[in-house]
Amino acid sequence: MRALGLDPVHDTRETFRALCDATSRPATVRRLPVAPGDHAVAATLVDHEVTTHTPDDDLREALAAQGRYEAAEPTDADIVHARGVPPWDVRDLERGSLVEPSEGATVLYRVESLESDPEDEDEDGDGLSTVTVSGPGVPETRTVGIGLPAAELEAIADAQSTAPRGVDAIFTAGDRVVAIPRSASMSVEAEVEVV
Amino acid sequence: MTETDRPETTPTDAVDSALESLSDDGLEGYNYAYLDEHTKREVRRSILKAIAVPGHQVPYASRPMPLARGWGTGGIQASLSILGPEDTFKVIDQGADESVNAANIRRLATETAGVETTTDTTDADVIQTRHRIPEEVVTDDQILVLQVPITDALRTVDSSDAANRRRHAHKNYGKMWVHLYENVVEWGEINIAARYPTMVAGRYLMDPSPIPRWDVPKLDDADALFVFAAGREARIYAVPPHTAVEPLAFEDRSFQVERFPDQACDVCGSTDTYLTEVDDASESAGSTGSRGGIDGSGGSRGGIDDDGGSDAAETETGSDAGDDGRRYVCNDTSFCHKRRSNPDLPRDHHLDRDDVDWGPGTTAADRGGEST
Repeated sequence: MRALGLDPVHDTRETFRALCDATSRPATVRRLPVAPGDHAVAATLVDHEVTTHTPDDDLREALAAQGRYEAAEPTDADIVHARGVPPWDVRDLERGSLVEPSEGATVLYRVESLESDPEDEDEDGDGLSTVTVSGPGVPETRTVGIGLPAAELEAIADAQSTAPRGVDAIFTAGDRVVAIPRSASMSVEAEVEVV
Repeated sequence: MTETDRPETTPTDAVDSALESLSDDGLEGYNYAYLDEHTKREVRRSILKAIAVPGHQVPYASRPMPLARGWGTGGIQASLSILGPEDTFKVIDQGADESVNAANIRRLATETAGVETTTDTTDADVIQTRHRIPEEVVTDDQILVLQVPITDALRTVDSSDAANRRRHAHKNYGKMWVHLYENVVEWGEINIAARYPTMVAGRYLMDPSPIPRWDVPKLDDADALFVFAAGREARIYAVPPHTAVEPLAFEDRSFQVERFPDQACDVCGSTDTYLTEVDDASESAGSTGSRGGIDGSGGSRGGIDDDGGSDAAETETGSDAGDDGRRYVCNDTSFCHKRRSNPDLPRDHHLDRDDVDWGPGTTAADRGGEST
């Protein structure tokens, strides 16, 4: 993974800890040791035991060079990578079965921005949607701004609505990461308008 | 790499000095934190899926470890996949830091992952534990790794894993309710000593590992992440922070923690901690032996026995008179140590909040009134 500019042992371990924190506390913004965060997350999770779909040539080459890239169509893959709004529908991804829900896909979005306090951000009008989550890991509710259109986030909420079957979403922007696992119930507000 | 240079004799006065005398050869060439990256990736993927589906048992490969399965191999694999060089690691075995198993796990982590170790719950970043949750409140910076011998609470009522997985899939826990009912009929209350069946986030029935009932309420709405790892059964499951964890009970037969009427810790005097009954009737009464098992002399007594020493005590009292040979000590030796110098130390002393609800006896209501 040095091809991606990260240490294969310590950067992936730190990335895992950030993911661990982010997943157990949905909608909190965590820091990854290296940017871009989607490369760090893929390097931490992907190997030949899981199938992967990515539009990112650099990432694909770096993984394939170590024999860790098992290609699959998005609808079959265990780990699905997207840059912004993907051409496929997140509702069609693998959600696992009731007996083994952990076979549901992990979907990894590279987005433009992530803000822990979207109400404060009057600078950022570039499609930051406000997501409110509740459920395990969230004391009451928690709010986060994610740089994706509301329609895509609502599709993710749909894909998670069958929990415990469902997909787990990870969003990265630079070295920031936010996770919304299927255990969370999320509601999406309209994009923040610049006034 | 060969191990021919071992000293002939190993000092036996304390675990740590015995371990230090053993040679440290042969660790060069191992990957950071002992496990290879491929193994860690798989464990990490399973941990993340376990957090995403709280209470569901996620399968993982469970590699061979340098000790037999059933001795904490699942916990070690989870801990070593989590730990980094800046972490401080604590390992407890039934509340004791000084058991041989705990000391060896600490040593493996120190040597291969370069972590600092501690016995102080409040200093630790990662706490690996067998069958206890510490008395002191855990915080949102901490991860607890619990060693699990039996992963499925339903195993008690059906030995078929396939049937139990179908039951979990359909949230069909009728058989467990019948089991609890039969328990009430027999005992008048639900009398399950450990592995108390517990509902996580209203969806999955979970085996909280053989922690005493005393510790089960600590899982509910906690600040820390709990990772349960079973090496022999190759399953990982998790309870994220701030997750509803509810021990199964009936409306008219509520969940009860262990009760220690009129007993206090023989060492620190605590009346609001989980106590272990120890039996030293064979010793003459006196202060010389009264601190065994606390000061790290191998932990042969006090807080190690699975059954709290009650078997021994029962056979003793069968022929002997009264309570003379029995006493109670704190099961959490590290907190007992602190309580010895400060008997009024609250369990949330390291937090800037008061009256943190952390198991029995922590809130003002608990301390004031009778147990529920």
